[in-house]
Amino acid sequence: MTDATTASAPPQPQRLQLLRVLGPVHVWALGVGIVLVGEFMGWNFSVAKGGAMGSLIACWVIGLLYTCVAMIDSEVTSTVAAAGGQYAQAKHIVGPLMAFNVGMYLVMAYTMLEAADALVVGDLLHQVAGQFGYAMLDPKPFVVLTIAVLAWLNYRGIFATLSINFVITAVAFLTIVVLFFALKPWDPTAALHHKELLTGLPYGWIGVIAAFQFGIWYYLGIEGTCQAAEEVRSVGRSLPLGTMTGMITLLIAASLTWYVASGLVPWQYLGQASVPLFDTARLTGSRFLEVFLFVGTLFSAVASANGTITDAARAWFSMSRDRYMPQWFGAVHPRFRTPFRAVVFLVPVAVSFAFTGLLDQVITFSILSGLLGYTFMSFNMIKFRKQWPLGSIKRAYTHPFHPVPAITLMALCITTYFATYLGYGSQLLAMMGFYIVASLWFHFHRYKYVRRADQFTMPWPRPRLSR
Amino acid sequence: MELWKLFEWAAWIVSAILLLYIFVDMIRVGAEYDEDLLLSSREGADELLEAQKHD
Amino acid sequence: MAKKPYQPPVQSKGGQIFDSFFILALVYAALLTPLLLGLGASNGATKHQTAPTWESLHQNTTMAQQWEKLGYTPKTAAPIIEQQFDYSINYGYLLLTIVVIGGYFFFMLKASRKEYLEVIDEKFGDDSH
Repeated sequence: MTDATTASAPPQPQRLQLLRVLGPVHVWALGVGIVLVGEFMGWNFSVAKGGAMGSLIACWVIGLLYTCVAMIDSEVTSTVAAAGGQYAQAKHIVGPLMAFNVGMYLVMAYTMLEAADALVVGDLLHQVAGQFGYAMLDPKPFVVLTIAVLAWLNYRGIFATLSINFVITAVAFLTIVVLFFALKPWDPTAALHHKELLTGLPYGWIGVIAAFQFGIWYYLGIEGTCQAAEEVRSVGRSLPLGTMTGMITLLIAASLTWYVASGLVPWQYLGQASVPLFDTARLTGSRFLEVFLFVGTLFSAVASANGTITDAARAWFSMSRDRYMPQWFGAVHPRFRTPFRAVVFLVPVAVSFAFTGLLDQVITFSILSGLLGYTFMSFNMIKFRKQWPLGSIKRAYTHPFHPVPAITLMALCITTYFATYLGYGSQLLAMMGFYIVASLWFHFHRYKYVRRADQFTMPWPRPRLSR
Repeated sequence: MELWKLFEWAAWIVSAILLLYIFVDMIRVGAEYDEDLLLSSREGADELLEAQKHD
Repeated sequence: MAKKPYQPPVQSKGGQIFDSFFILALVYAALLTPLLLGLGASNGATKHQTAPTWESLHQNTTMAQQWEKLGYTPKTAAPIIEQQFDYSINYGYLLLTIVVIGGYFFFMLKASRKEYLEVIDEKFGDDSH
């Protein structure tokens, strides 16, 4: 490989890198950990938009969208193994401005999700204190505490962070499974009332499409597994394995959640509940299930906040390392080997998002940033196969049926934009405004600080480009 | 009632300690180590390349 | 022949701080704009009943029973049940949304491509004969 720039800047003898210590279990814990909270809160807003049946259809259609995402991501990431995940993919395959935008999608989607998770912890404790007769509990210190503890964990090292995440995520998943079996699904009329509670589609089929927007919550964040790429041992095997098993876990969890909730809770209540699975447990009349689901909700929110700190910090770190953002943030801690400055910087940002009191704006911003990222993945995949056909570089994993997943993904993304337009049109425009202004800022101002050829770090041959 | 107030205060204090710790550590590391070393990480490639050579 | 590699200027400390805060300010602006314009989630008008009962709210016995277990009466449940989304499509607004999203991707891909070719040429040598 001839390389003009490395010749002029000899490699330094001593280099700090992120620690490569993670296995497939951690990848699963990072991916599922971020997402699982979506089953405990958030998915049910899709019930408000399209009714309970509409939500189920959304759950499966969006499940298909995410299966495409996981397939595409596994192939690209098994070759572009960098902490930026999709950001590094965009940089190598589409171009710098796209990469800047993808990096911003990641930071925004994750930091805002982190704020929402911390708010859930605060609210839940507030509710419990209320049940014990103290209705005045201030959720704020617990919101800050959640973020502070997790930031501290992330600062101190990735291995312990994600090992803990594995345990709490597994417990949270178990609570859903236990709730499902406690309701005797083999005897559908014993404890559940689907027959009486399920109504037709309250808004018809347009409501089903509108429900796609919050159907995203069943899975949002599973693609975050890629951010750990720089810290995973044998990336080519672990990442696809962790991501795919994560996706299967989520499909199961989403279906179980819908089944128990829709069989116990009237849909209008479900559509606006802040902690739907906990409410479902309350309706069973079992004290044990109530406590268990409280623990599940709490753990899932903590696991999610934890994973989002990990991911947002890595995205911010990678962008800074390339000077897309101030390079000061691109530092690695000499002992803990974590992107420590990025972790610290995002703490006040997340706290301030949590304290704005704009929870639905924050959630919508998070969903839309995710959606923009999926749109990117669809054409990214097509470009990837075109610029480096099979056989031209080593791929540890090749997904089947190309280009069907990419095209399906694109079609589903367009439908979901329309779903967001239905009911949340003004938020959609405000957030597009943000990305447009940020893009102009990057293209005309920020990009001048970026070294050109240095961004391309993969040992690949020249891409096949038609000029 | 008092107990819940105590929890609130404990949460504030623990948060403050943890945040102070990471903040102070960050400043200290910045002062103690050479900035070029801290910024010396390079994207993915090198360790991965090593691994591939051994495949 | 490879061109001379592009040498970026070094950014000052102040510039680095300013750039970080600029992006943050932009995010808050995007979060607050819909609120300032008074455009929350567009929920349609709710029709209010003066003395709602479970029957008048179209809830069957099982539904009513579950509502009551959750601690609601017909009066407190009515605002939740009667809340409705308005999915009538304003075509002008829809068109604007399509143009904005389409325009965004169009501009971004065009600019990215230009920057990408520069990167590739510097990395692999200029190949435009």
